[in-house]
Amino acid sequence: MPTLRDITGILEDAWTRLDEGADAPAGPAIYPFPGDVAGNDPALTGIHIANDVDPESVVPMFDRVSLISVAFPAFTDGRGFSIGRRLREAGYTGRLRATGPVLADQFRYLLECGFDEVEVPDALAARQPQEQWERAADAVTLNYQRGYAGRRNILEARREARGV
Amino acid sequence: MYSYDEFDERFVRERVAQFRDQVARRLDGSLTEEEFRPLRLMNGLYLQLHAYMLRIAIPYGSMNGRQMRMLGTIAEKWDRGYGHFTTRQNIQFNWPKLKDIPDILDALADVGMHAIQTSGNCIRNTTSDPFSGVATDEIEDPRATCELIRQWSSLHPEFTFLGRKFKIAVTGASSDRAAIRVHDIGIEIVKNEAGETGYRILVGGGLGRTPMIGKELRAFLPREELLPYLEACLRVYNMHGRRDNKYKARIKILVHELGIDTYREHVEAEYARIDRSNTAADMAEFARIAEQFAPPAYPELPEQSAIFERALKAHPDFAHWVEQNGFAHRVPGFMAVTVSLKPVGGAPGDATSEQLRVLAEAAEQYSMDELRITHEQNVVLPNVKKDELFALWTLLKSQGLDAPNKGLVTDIIACPGLDYCALATARSIPVAQEISKRFSDPARMADIGPLAIKISGCINACGHHHVGHIGILGLDKAGVESYQITLGGDPANDASLGERTGPGFSYDQVPGVIETLVETYLGLREPRETFLQTYRRVGMAPFKEALYADAA
Amino acid sequence: MARAFRPVVLTANDLVEGDVVWWTGAVWSRDVSDAEVFDTPEAAEAAEAALNTPEHAACTVGIVRVEVEMRDGAPFPTLRREQIRAERRPTFDYLPTSKVSEAA
Ligand code: HEM
Ligand code: SF4
Repeated sequence: MPTLRDITGILEDAWTRLDEGADAPAGPAIYPFPGDVAGNDPALTGIHIANDVDPESVVPMFDRVSLISVAFPAFTDGRGFSIGRRLREAGYTGRLRATGPVLADQFRYLLECGFDEVEVPDALAARQPQEQWERAADAVTLNYQRGYAGRRNILEARREARGV
Repeated sequence: MYSYDEFDERFVRERVAQFRDQVARRLDGSLTEEEFRPLRLMNGLYLQLHAYMLRIAIPYGSMNGRQMRMLGTIAEKWDRGYGHFTTRQNIQFNWPKLKDIPDILDALADVGMHAIQTSGNCIRNTTSDPFSGVATDEIEDPRATCELIRQWSSLHPEFTFLGRKFKIAVTGASSDRAAIRVHDIGIEIVKNEAGETGYRILVGGGLGRTPMIGKELRAFLPREELLPYLEACLRVYNMHGRRDNKYKARIKILVHELGIDTYREHVEAEYARIDRSNTAADMAEFARIAEQFAPPAYPELPEQSAIFERALKAHPDFAHWVEQNGFAHRVPGFMAVTVSLKPVGGAPGDATSEQLRVLAEAAEQYSMDELRITHEQNVVLPNVKKDELFALWTLLKSQGLDAPNKGLVTDIIACPGLDYCALATARSIPVAQEISKRFSDPARMADIGPLAIKISGCINACGHHHVGHIGILGLDKAGVESYQITLGGDPANDASLGERTGPGFSYDQVPGVIETLVETYLGLREPRETFLQTYRRVGMAPFKEALYADAA
Repeated sequence: MARAFRPVVLTANDLVEGDVVWWTGAVWSRDVSDAEVFDTPEAAEAAEAALNTPEHAACTVGIVRVEVEMRDGAPFPTLRREQIRAERRPTFDYLPTSKVSEAA
């Protein structure tokens, strides 16, 4: 079983991943994009997208799904960060999941790009226990970039310090 | 000079602590080498042939005496007593131990420096004009813009795992001393018709395996739009740049394959989607940064200095140095000078810890506490009173820092090459040393005039050979070092890439080859014509003939 | 056409120090002349496989083969690059004079 976690800790994964064309189970299920999800209950519907999918093509599905999973085929392949950011900028408010062998050291960046949770494969999860993810999330508590979620923004902090 | 506020300081300290933890996790097996490698690279740590190498950023090449002194201390305490300045306004130490790196980074943080993103597939140290703030042809000091970009690009959540490295250079002057045309993004500070200051944006330049000159993406970008616009540029690259082939992963290939117009359409579409008000830096913040680059309080001095004039007459060596290494300052009574790190027969860009300390002292005593690092691997003291130039020269001379060869045949750029670099195919430093010895006669150097020789030890082109008037590229031909020569490259406003002369030469032949090229130029030149001008006038043929005629 | 196999040794960099190290058959040595020489592809492969363990990954980086020839009865690399590594220093006088005696 891969390990699923968010900022609060390790989570039970309620979602079932479906292969292309598989029948829908009763519970919440993640369909491979584009997925035939018309008529599904959005609360029980998620989609999984590869990292070369144009986020624009996912926008029409926003109100039909409550989870989008984005593939990270390798931790060095950073396209997913931009996809997460784009989905949020386009107004997606549901759950956003990063799926793949990402490192604890990238957890903070993922959260800032709009991801809520991370699903990592076993081998990696075994080497990098929860405690490392917690430490990584708080390692650098400030950031310079505006408009990204999460850490304390240095520019805002300065603005406050200037009293405006 | 920008100095860290409490937030910058905390940010860098936390980053050091994080790296300390990452090193510990590598040692205990939590991180494999494959996982650790990009993390260490993003903290400037390479593994080279003989040892680790730590690359430290000197943002836009600007530093003060205290920082320079710390570099000397690091060289002494954790390395072998010297450092190497690079063409990207960084300094490299060639022998540190992994276990010492976190301590070195902490020592750097003590003086407001870091090694963040000096390597790795992320936005690298932003480079600039070494004469920023003092040049007479400047529209605006580019360092405020550079610092804004430095902050914005540091640990950027979205752009830290790009397809490849990403280099940005900024110039604020009409004559480009920052080589912006050979950067992933080149930024030129310009004024529009309404007199507002903004940016001209170039994209897709670069050297390496496939050298390209950057193309214009935007003729004028209003200042407040800079960061959201860069975000759009980077996002398009991050999502669409190639990742199947490391050698095709730079943005120059994307721009080349899409065409500049299509790339621009992508960027503009992305830009239209971005919530600018939520991304842009507020202009009060820009003003806060810019204030720190306000000109120092220059005393009012006459343009002429009697002491200076006397010293020029009494000491021909000094006069020669001033003539060759001096640079006009915009404030009367002041000069900027280049301290050449290219003594005859030396390793280009190397400085010992004693020299680093003398440079620190020179800055504090004679240059209003400012130093600049140039992409020619030299150091600039930007704010020297003419009255004190002679005293400065005397101090520099005591540590062999008085080479009067800025821009001349012995002011050679060379990458570390096979003597240090794990990627190298041939040596470059010893080649530079041999050439330098051949041309050691100052009168001959002066007669030859401006000539930029640039040497890279492999196709990655860290020595900028494509933009050398004479470029030398070291390759491996069946286990033997072989050197390919290019002519006519130049990185400045009318940037051009060098042309190959023909088949390569052996290690031992190279100094003679350079000699032949120089003699050919001397025979062909018209009065006051430089090597580059002669080459541009007469073309390759006579040089080729001189090189290969005997062999035929 | 496949090139004839030449004897090889195994080399890496020390994880903590960064130094070039050579596999002696028992430990990692700083001196190439201590290295164990493998005369057949099979022997080299077997040695590589034996070193592919977490223990070795925890003290070295990048274990690779290097071709050698025998010089005065001891192995020495054939390639320029590896010769420079084996000598543990650049090919020119790289040290500031004050440091020459220390690093020797
Ligand atoms: C010794 C360790 C070094 C290593 C391993 C290294 C590695 C590389 C690589 C792989 C590239 C090609 C990248 C690409 O085009 O995607 C490159 C380019 C470059 N490096 Fe280095 N380099 C080293 C040292 C230096 C030094 C000492 C300098 C300055 C003297 C330097 C400055 C540059 C520059 C200016 C480029 C070129 C062009 C460009 O970005 O388009 N590097 N380096
Ligand atoms: S050009 Fe090649 S040899 Fe020179 S430093 Fe760059 S990667 Fe190394």
